[in-house]
Amino acid sequence: MNTEIKVEEVDIYKELKTEFGGLGANSFQGKMQDYVKSGTPIVACTDDFFPELFEAMDLPFYFVVRQGLESAFHAGRGPEAVDGYDEFNGASTLCSLQKASAYLLVKDLLPKPAAIVMTSTSCDAQTAVNELMSNYRPWAEVPRISVDASFEKDEASMEYLGKQWIQTIPFLEKATGKKFDLGKFKEVCEESNKQTQLLFDFQELRRAVPSPIRAEWGFIAYMGCRWSACGRQEGTEWMQRLYDATAQRVKEKKGIDGVTEKIRYTWFDILPCWSDKLFPRLEQEFGAVNLMDLYGYCAPWPSIDTSSLESIFTSMAKRFLIGNPMTRQIFALSSVYGGDAVNIAKNFKCDAVIMPGHIGHKDGAASHKIVKDMFRELGIPFFVIGCDVFDERYMDPEVVYQKISAFFETSGLT
Amino acid sequence: MESIKSSDVFKKFSGIATSLKNSEIENWKKQGGKVIGYFCPVIPEEVFIAGGILPFRMRGTGSTTTDSADVYLKPVNCGFPRHTFNQALIGEYDFLDGLVVNTCCDTIMRLAVDWEHAGIKTPFIYSLDNAHAGGEAMVGHFRNQLQKMKDAVEKYFNVEITEQKLQDAIKLCNETKLLQQKLYELRKLPNPPITGSETVAVMVAGSSMPKEQYNKDLKTLLDELGNVNTDKKYSARLMIIGCGHDDTLLCDIIEELGAVVVTDQTCFGSRVMIKTISEEGDDPLMSIAGYLVLDVPYCPKTIGTHPERKQFTMGLAKDYKVDGAVGQCFISCDPWAAELYLLKSEFQEAGIPFIWFEREYIPDLIGQLKTRVEAFIETINN
Repeated sequence: MNTEIKVEEVDIYKELKTEFGGLGANSFQGKMQDYVKSGTPIVACTDDFFPELFEAMDLPFYFVVRQGLESAFHAGRGPEAVDGYDEFNGASTLCSLQKASAYLLVKDLLPKPAAIVMTSTSCDAQTAVNELMSNYRPWAEVPRISVDASFEKDEASMEYLGKQWIQTIPFLEKATGKKFDLGKFKEVCEESNKQTQLLFDFQELRRAVPSPIRAEWGFIAYMGCRWSACGRQEGTEWMQRLYDATAQRVKEKKGIDGVTEKIRYTWFDILPCWSDKLFPRLEQEFGAVNLMDLYGYCAPWPSIDTSSLESIFTSMAKRFLIGNPMTRQIFALSSVYGGDAVNIAKNFKCDAVIMPGHIGHKDGAASHKIVKDMFRELGIPFFVIGCDVFDERYMDPEVVYQKISAFFETSGLT
Repeated sequence: MESIKSSDVFKKFSGIATSLKNSEIENWKKQGGKVIGYFCPVIPEEVFIAGGILPFRMRGTGSTTTDSADVYLKPVNCGFPRHTFNQALIGEYDFLDGLVVNTCCDTIMRLAVDWEHAGIKTPFIYSLDNAHAGGEAMVGHFRNQLQKMKDAVEKYFNVEITEQKLQDAIKLCNETKLLQQKLYELRKLPNPPITGSETVAVMVAGSSMPKEQYNKDLKTLLDELGNVNTDKKYSARLMIIGCGHDDTLLCDIIEELGAVVVTDQTCFGSRVMIKTISEEGDDPLMSIAGYLVLDVPYCPKTIGTHPERKQFTMGLAKDYKVDGAVGQCFISCDPWAAELYLLKSEFQEAGIPFIWFEREYIPDLIGQLKTRVEAFIETINN
C-alpha cells in the first residue's frame, strides 16, 4: 500500500528551502570534500556545542553524529550503515543514528580530522561513539581534548565548563595552525545571538491557531542557524525571512495549506527520518498537526555575553547546558525533560502529546512514567510508542500510524 | 583444606553476597545504625563511614522479575537498574535510610526521581554529579560535588563529618583495599587457592557489611587460604572484563568447565581496590576526589579514557598470566560494549584469545552463554 502523500509547499517556503540548501552548500559541511582534497585542517566534534568558535577561526568542522544523519539516513543509506555496524559486533542496542556514525567511522568514510574535540553530555550512545572515534586506529596520532560538562546547572558548573572550553583555543591553534582572534569571535557571537533570538521568536509564532507551518520547519530553522550558518549574516537574513513569512501567515490566520486543523499534538523527540510516511497521513486522515519536536523546541537560550573571553565561554556553557535541544532534556532531571513536554503542550495548545520512545533514548525511557503522570494530572492524552526514529525497519511507519490512529480514537480526539 | 568453600568465614561472605539482607546489617540496624545505598564505586563510601553510616552497594541480587520496575523503565534500559529498582519496589531495600545515585549512565541518573516518585520509603535521596571526562581539571570540581554530598548527609542524618573522621574512614577503607589486593595476589599463583567465583563473593560482601568486621573476616580468610591445597589443575587461566559483575554466574560457568578466573576488570572487582587513597594532605575530600578521578580505572562512560583503561586491562592480563579474556556487558550498556569492541584488537595483538558478548543482568536461560564460553575454552586449549 502506498501510504505516502506528497506535501506541496507554498512558494515562499519553497524558496526558503532552496535557500536553506544554499546555506548548507556554503557551510563547512557542504565544502567538506574540497577541504579534504586541499588538505585543509578539519576538526571532528562529538556534539554541536559551540560552532561559533569554529566559525570565528574559519576552521572547518563536522559533528560525527550529523554525518550519520546526513551521509547515511538522509542519503537513503541508513539501513545499510546500521546493518554494516551490526556485522562488526558493536553494542546491539546502540541508537541507530550512532550505529550509522560508527559505521562511517570504522569504514573510513569520515574525513580524517586534524583535531578531535569531545564534550561529555548527551547520551550513553554518544559516549560510546566518542570512545570509538578517539581510539580509531588510523586516527591514533590525532590530538584530542576531552571536556567534562556538569550535570548540575548552577553558576559554578557553567564556569567549570566554560573554563575547560577556553582551553580548546590553544589546543586548536596548535593542532590546526589556525589563529584565534577575539574581535572576530565577538562578532560571530553577536550574530549568533541575533539568530537564536530569531529562532525563539519564530518558535513563538508557532503557538498560533491554526499552526502556520509544519513542525519540520523548527528543525530546519535550527539546522540553518546552528549547523549551516551559525554566526554568519547570511544565516541571520535567511532566518529573518523565515520569520517574516511565518509572521505573515499568522497575521492572515493561515494554517497549513490543504489541512483542516482538528488535532494539535507534539511529537516529543527527534522528527523521524520517515516523517513523510506518517505526518501527512495524520494530517489528511485526522486533521492532526504536529506542532513541535525536540530539535524544533528552543527554550529561551541565554545570550552570549561578549564582554570578555571568560564571559563568552561561561554564557556559551549556559546556552549549551540549559538551551541546547536534547542536551537540555537528556542531561538533566526528569522534571526538566517532562517540564519541557508540559510547556510545549500548554504553550502550543496541544490536544495530545506523543512520546515516540526512540529505542536509543534510554534516558527518556527511564523518565516516561514521570512524564506520563505529569500529563495525567493535566488531563492531556499522552502516548508512548517505542519506535526507532531513524531506522523504520524497527517499527514500520504503518504500525506507528495505526497506533497513533487508535490513540486519537480512544482518547476521544476524533 | 581442599577448598575455601568449607571455611566459615567464606560461607559468611558467600551468604552476604547472595542476598540483600544479612545479619550484619540487621545487627547494625538493631543498634540504631543507618544504612545508605549507593550505586557506583565513584560514590565514595568513605564519606558515609565518616558519618557513622553503613554504605551498601546497590545490586539486584535475588531478583527474578522486573514486572514492577517496568512501569518506570523500559526494556531498552539495562537490566541492572531494572532488577535493582524492582527489588526496591517490592520492599527488599526497606532497610535503607538513604540512597545516593550518580550521573554514571542514562538510566541510573534518572533513578533518584523514579525512586521518589514510586513512593519507595527511603527518606534520604541524593544525586551526585560525577566527572564525565578524565584529567586533573576535573578533580577540584568533583571535590566540590563531594562537599555538597557531605553537607547533605550531615544535615539530613544530623551528623558531623570532620576531617579527622574522613581521614579515619580513608584509612579503614584503604585497609580493605590492601587486604583485597593480597587476595588478588594469591590469584597470580600457578594454582590459585581461590577461584573467581569465590572471589566475587568475597568482593561483593565487602560492600555489603561494616568495614571493620569485613577487614577482620578477610584477614582470617587470607590466613585460611594459606592452608588450601593448591594442587588443582585448571585448563585455562581467564580474566573477566566488563560492567557490574556482582554475581558468580559467569565465573561459575567458566569454572564448571575446568578453567579458572584469575582476575577481572570489573567495578565490583579490581577497579575498587587496585589503588589506595592518599592519607597525606590536609583535605581528605580532595584526596578522595583525586583518587576517584585520577586513580580508579575509568568507567567507559568517562570520555577520552580508553587508553588508560586499555593499559590497566592489558597490564592485568600480563600480571595474572591469563590464557584468555572474557568480556561481558549487560544488554543496553553502550559504553561498555564499545569498550569491549575496542579491547578486542588489543587482545588480538597481544596474542591473547578474547571473546565478548552482551548478556542479561539476570538471564532466564544460560545455555547459550555456556555454549559460547565452552567453545572459547576449547579454542584456548586447542
